Amino acid sequence: MIEVKNITKNYGKTQAVRGISFSIKDGECYGLLGPNGAGKSTTINMLSMLFPPNSGQITINGTDASNANAAVKQIMGIVPQEIALYDKFTAWENILFWGSIYGIKGKQLHDKAEELLKWVGLFDRRKEKINSYSGGMKRRINIACALLHSPKVVLLDEPTVGVDPQSRNLIFELIQQLNKEGMTIIYTTHYMEEAEKLCNRIAIMDNGQIVAQGTLDELKQQSAVTDMIVVDFTQAPDEKLLAEKLKSEISVFENSLTMLSSDSKKDLTRVVTTCTDAGFEINRIDIQKGNLESVFLKMTGKQLRD
Amino acid sequence: MFTILKKEIRSFVKDRRAVMLGILMPIILISVFSLAFGGINSKENRKNPLLICDEDKSATSMKVITGLDSVKSLDLATTTTDSALHLIKSGKYPAALIFHKGFGDSVNQIKHLPWEMKYDASQSVQMGMMQQYLAQSLFGNVGKIMTERMVMRNAQKQFAGMDSLSMMMATIQMKKNLDASSKGMDDLQQNIMKMQSSPIEKETDNQGIVQAVAGTAVMMLMFSLTAMGGRILEEKENGTLKRLLYSPLTSTQILSGKMICAILYATVQLLIMFSFSSLVFGLVLIPKILAVLVVILSTAFACSGFGMFLAAVVKSREQLQSLSTLAILSMSVIGGSMVPSFLMPSWMQSVGHVSINYWSIQAFFDIFWRQIPITDPIYLEKVGVLLVFGAVLSTIAFRLFKKNVTSMA
Repeated sequence: MIEVKNITKNYGKTQAVRGISFSIKDGECYGLLGPNGAGKSTTINMLSMLFPPNSGQITINGTDASNANAAVKQIMGIVPQEIALYDKFTAWENILFWGSIYGIKGKQLHDKAEELLKWVGLFDRRKEKINSYSGGMKRRINIACALLHSPKVVLLDEPTVGVDPQSRNLIFELIQQLNKEGMTIIYTTHYMEEAEKLCNRIAIMDNGQIVAQGTLDELKQQSAVTDMIVVDFTQAPDEKLLAEKLKSEISVFENSLTMLSSDSKKDLTRVVTTCTDAGFEINRIDIQKGNLESVFLKMTGKQLRD
Repeated sequence: MFTILKKEIRSFVKDRRAVMLGILMPIILISVFSLAFGGINSKENRKNPLLICDEDKSATSMKVITGLDSVKSLDLATTTTDSALHLIKSGKYPAALIFHKGFGDSVNQIKHLPWEMKYDASQSVQMGMMQQYLAQSLFGNVGKIMTERMVMRNAQKQFAGMDSLSMMMATIQMKKNLDASSKGMDDLQQNIMKMQSSPIEKETDNQGIVQAVAGTAVMMLMFSLTAMGGRILEEKENGTLKRLLYSPLTSTQILSGKMICAILYATVQLLIMFSFSSLVFGLVLIPKILAVLVVILSTAFACSGFGMFLAAVVKSREQLQSLSTLAILSMSVIGGSMVPSFLMPSWMQSVGHVSINYWSIQAFFDIFWRQIPITDPIYLEKVGVLLVFGAVLSTIAFRLFKKNVTSMA
């Protein structure tokens, strides 16, 4: 469905995307995971034809995207990171407007608008202005506005930023439903659990590059990660000192230390002894099974929240 | 509190362009206003242009013209009568003084003088000022020659047969008596030297109303349309512009839609303003509605281009606010929205040609005051300039938008 070959994007002297390649199959949910500034949104913007890459090639649905801008845009539905809605319009007016710019008219537009508003659970509140909606409700309308023209591919750029857990779960359900119906989904996030929960395959992005990609199991295998020891201290530890003493890959964020381990039982004693000897008072210790977070740490040498 | 203060100062200082505009704007505005209004009081700076048409070409007419040329407040240019009428009609000169054939003979024969003043109906206020400068010189020079002729003629009649010395002494006494007699001079000025003074077209509307309506309407329109241009920046900030660009619409289609909306808005705003002026202040609108509509549409196009241009040049709404205030007030001052152009120094009037206000106001003067028909090149020239303004500004705006706003979206 989507084939990306070695694309790059520069903003002046800054290289935001440095030659990434990936392919997404029809009906797949593909995640782009990385911290802010990793190049996820730039990649989404290139995929959505907002601007072309400086080099490389994007093929969507068998068509070279650079030669068929309008045709490609017509099969894509983009949910931007911002709540890109007109605040002074009602939900109904917003839906109709965003549908009409894709050429949908009359009864077809009204029927689709009604269907989508019911789908996101906001049909009863359709006559209210967007500025009276909660963050979660706005996010749901934001998603609905991208689906009016029944796109084949939906690009969701961090669609859960700033929403409460309940709304987030509701959005997850909507996305999973879309995927079940056969829509190809590209999902960018910096939340590990979202990528794990929603995506069939994940690309880990850092500094404009894809450092690894595959299913979660493939990523675990690639990084040879099994477990992760997480230690919380009463105060911030000295990362440099502990790295020297533990002789392992560690990451410190605020009062917390994370260490990758292939044998957590053996390493646990060593971590406790070393930290205590170094004078850092331990508050809590946790051993986590290998997950996306540990893979990310292994691949990038840093935690996603860094 | 100090943390907030520091944050506010830091965020303000970070927008360097806004800071520059904030400091430069009042300085530039003070300069523009001072230069424009300074021209009113400074006699040295302000010269009143006046066309001279000497159809008589006699020694007397030339002597009178030489006398006028020495008046510091006048800036004379000699031309033919036809050319003078065209120049006034096109608004390039405010008035012409025409010395018809037989002027010299009439002076010598102390008959009613064949001279007349033709002026631009839209500049009758300026004419009032100019006639004061003219009266002093003209009546001084011409009156002196005519008085001498009158005395000589009377002396020859009354003192016929006297020897030449006695006649000369009697003549001097007679001249002194006439000079002392204000009745004699008044009679000379009010009857024999009386000058026909008329506008080249019939005056129908009060100049003050036309000036006020056209000047204010264009200025306010610029503010409105700049605010509309600012909505593009607002859309950029809240992400809807990016969402529009994600759609199959091209950036040209998006901007054209906004531009057409601005033109429609401007047209409606101007129509309402002129209709209101017609109803309340008696501006005669209906017979000239077609010409008015053409100017309204071309002004709306030019002002919309201006609004889009400003919005394309800046990077934030704060910058737009500062720059638009500066640009609109400056253009309004030099273009004659705030103070009639003729009250400014001539160089300032020339500078005013770069403003949309000038061309729009002059086009409205053509319609309401100069009574120029819609097919007249003089009127069409102004409409053309407004369209060029609109085309150039909107073309630049579109290019800048594609380069700046869309890349930032």
